[in-house]
Amino acid sequence: MNKLTSLLLWPAIAILGAFSFAALALGRGESVNAVWLVTAALCVYFIAYRFYSKFIADKVLRLDDTRVTPALRHNDGMDYVPTNKWVLYGHHFAAIAGAGPLVGPVLAAQMGYLPGTLWILSGVVLAGAVQDFIVLFASVRRDGKSLGEMIKMELGPVPGTLALVGVLAIMIIILAVLALIVVKALTGSPWGLFTIFATIPIALLMGVYMRIIRPGRVGEASVFGVVLLLASIFLGRAVAESATWAPWFTLTGPQLAWALIVYGAIAASLPVWLMLAPRDYLSTFLKIGTIVALALGIYYVAPLLAMPATTRFIDGSGPVFSGKLFPFLFITIACGSVSGFHALISSGTTPKMVEKESHMRFIGFGGMLAESFVAVMALTAASVLDPGIYFAMNAPAAVIGTTAAHAAEVISGWGFTITPELINQTAIDIGETSILSRAGGAPTLAVGMAQILGQAFGGKSMEAFWYHFAILFEALFILTAVDAGTRVGRFMIQDMLGHLYKPLGDTEFLPANIVATLLCVGLWGYFLYQGVVDPLGGINTLWQLFGVGNQMLAGIALLLCTSVLVKMKRERYVWVTLAPTAWLLVTTLTAGVQKIFHPDPAIGFLALARKFGDAAAQGTLIAPAKSIAEMQRVAFNNTLDAVVCGFFVLLVVAMCVFAAKICLQALKQSRPTAQEIPPMSGPQGAMP
Amino acid sequence: MNDAGNPEAERSLGRRWQSLCSACRQVFGMPDYERYLEHAAQLHPGAPVLSRDDYCAKVIERRYGQGVGRCC
Repeated sequence: MNKLTSLLLWPAIAILGAFSFAALALGRGESVNAVWLVTAALCVYFIAYRFYSKFIADKVLRLDDTRVTPALRHNDGMDYVPTNKWVLYGHHFAAIAGAGPLVGPVLAAQMGYLPGTLWILSGVVLAGAVQDFIVLFASVRRDGKSLGEMIKMELGPVPGTLALVGVLAIMIIILAVLALIVVKALTGSPWGLFTIFATIPIALLMGVYMRIIRPGRVGEASVFGVVLLLASIFLGRAVAESATWAPWFTLTGPQLAWALIVYGAIAASLPVWLMLAPRDYLSTFLKIGTIVALALGIYYVAPLLAMPATTRFIDGSGPVFSGKLFPFLFITIACGSVSGFHALISSGTTPKMVEKESHMRFIGFGGMLAESFVAVMALTAASVLDPGIYFAMNAPAAVIGTTAAHAAEVISGWGFTITPELINQTAIDIGETSILSRAGGAPTLAVGMAQILGQAFGGKSMEAFWYHFAILFEALFILTAVDAGTRVGRFMIQDMLGHLYKPLGDTEFLPANIVATLLCVGLWGYFLYQGVVDPLGGINTLWQLFGVGNQMLAGIALLLCTSVLVKMKRERYVWVTLAPTAWLLVTTLTAGVQKIFHPDPAIGFLALARKFGDAAAQGTLIAPAKSIAEMQRVAFNNTLDAVVCGFFVLLVVAMCVFAAKICLQALKQSRPTAQEIPPMSGPQGAMP
Repeated sequence: MNDAGNPEAERSLGRRWQSLCSACRQVFGMPDYERYLEHAAQLHPGAPVLSRDDYCAKVIERRYGQGVGRCC
């Protein structure tokens, strides 16, 4: 860039950013416009990208375009394909963006919009984007190896195996919590359920079209798929209003849970071209389209933030999730600031497509900034809602009851004045019968999006359409994740079972496939079902368990990055990864230990298990449980949650010890010991 | 636009549309047969190539067969 332009542009962005933050920070007592929040975020991203990522690329990693990337070395036109930088950016972003950055910020909005915003912005710049970038770098320098393989290479076989077991455990919890979000959004919602259900025949039709009717014509199938998808939203309204059809699509939570479990088992066993691939295309179109529409909508409508900057719930007494700001904010907002799961994507297909090393800065670091922007928009959408509506949708029934009148009374008592009429009217506006206790982020975000998009396109009458569009958009990629995740889980389980009994590891052996699929579905299905019938809410427990697991995985990925830097003899710059690693370990270990041992039953799993277990033994009922059996189940499940949480804590502590040992050894060496592909190896055939 | 008027411009417009479609296919992770043919012609000229059906089937199987890590 021209030096003078650069000299003027960057100070201008810095001043705009500072001004936006000032508007956020100083606008006390009156509502602040959401545009300031979004602008402040964008300025932070631009500056971080321009300066910090350049520093990492040039000084810390020393990206070298003369090195041959795996895409060029193996260029096979299938997996290894050198890809245009911008195209790969889009591809990588589509792969990392999911439900995570949408759900976490919505839940965290109970503490006000400011704590969440600050953590999303500082977390992404110092931890999340750094992790994605360096893992991508490490994988490209190791011929596109996966995270597990790299841990095995650089830290040793035992940590490699431990990491794989950890990934499987996190996978199970993620699948359960994602499915639970869908259940919470679709319970008693015939319109929503019909549109989601309609995606199954639409995807099947697309699959058959692409394979049999017009083989290979993916574009044509996509066009009619999207048209049918939009038509299904309109048809859904007719279904919900029809006296004959509505009851067929009005299901209870447990019924939906079973439907999802059966769906998961069948979908993961079908050939991929029939349903998984076409549905993944649909979900990616909708995902990118919706995110762009939401960004434009926020700037066009310029809504006011109704949620205060901070609420009194930073003290840990919040109804959406319990626990203080430190450490629980940092595990509730996972994917928008730093997500261990991204380390799997950054060491998956993306490194096999990178054309030049210098592109990784834009793809790895820049891709994560875009993901973070999605999280900021989700936080914005939740914060433009009336706080009373926000709490009515997110507090569990155990706290606010099941009627609008009771909910309004409780929530007004917290200082967020709301009338039962407004709660009922909001439900009518979005075409639903009730909005109470629809925890899980998706419905809240959908109402926020419906209000923003409704004002931008179509007015009040279109709000119900936009609400169901938003639910469809989230449920669609959650169902894709359930299908794809069950397959990943199946392969991991088969890999492990293969060590115990050889034939079980054979992925071509049908009975072994079925056993592993059922095992995987059974595991996440168990957590899902318990979450659905949990009288205390479900989401508040499972999401935190997921948060601990996901941030632990991020900690493990950053430990790998740290070890790689030390082994490359770049210890001067080790703080780039060591500082975020330390912060992640401090927050997640504190959160993990508190989740297990905290004496307050609202926070500690064991305390809650003891409270319900003791009462059950004495034969006294504690509301909202309705029977002694239900209380015993609460006690058992909380003990189980404590065990899973304890496993994550021990895993990351063990990884810490392994990484420290490797780093100390590498420090004593005078030459680099990282196991990279040597710079001279050229494309296959071109050079021996 | 006049057909005979400017074939050069039209061809480049057509090419641009093709490359836009190709970019979209790559972003969405869809099979991109034209790109494969180009690749085959460049790296293995004269060698037999897969048919459109086979290529698409193979790419979809490779991409999704092992399950894809979709983020949370």
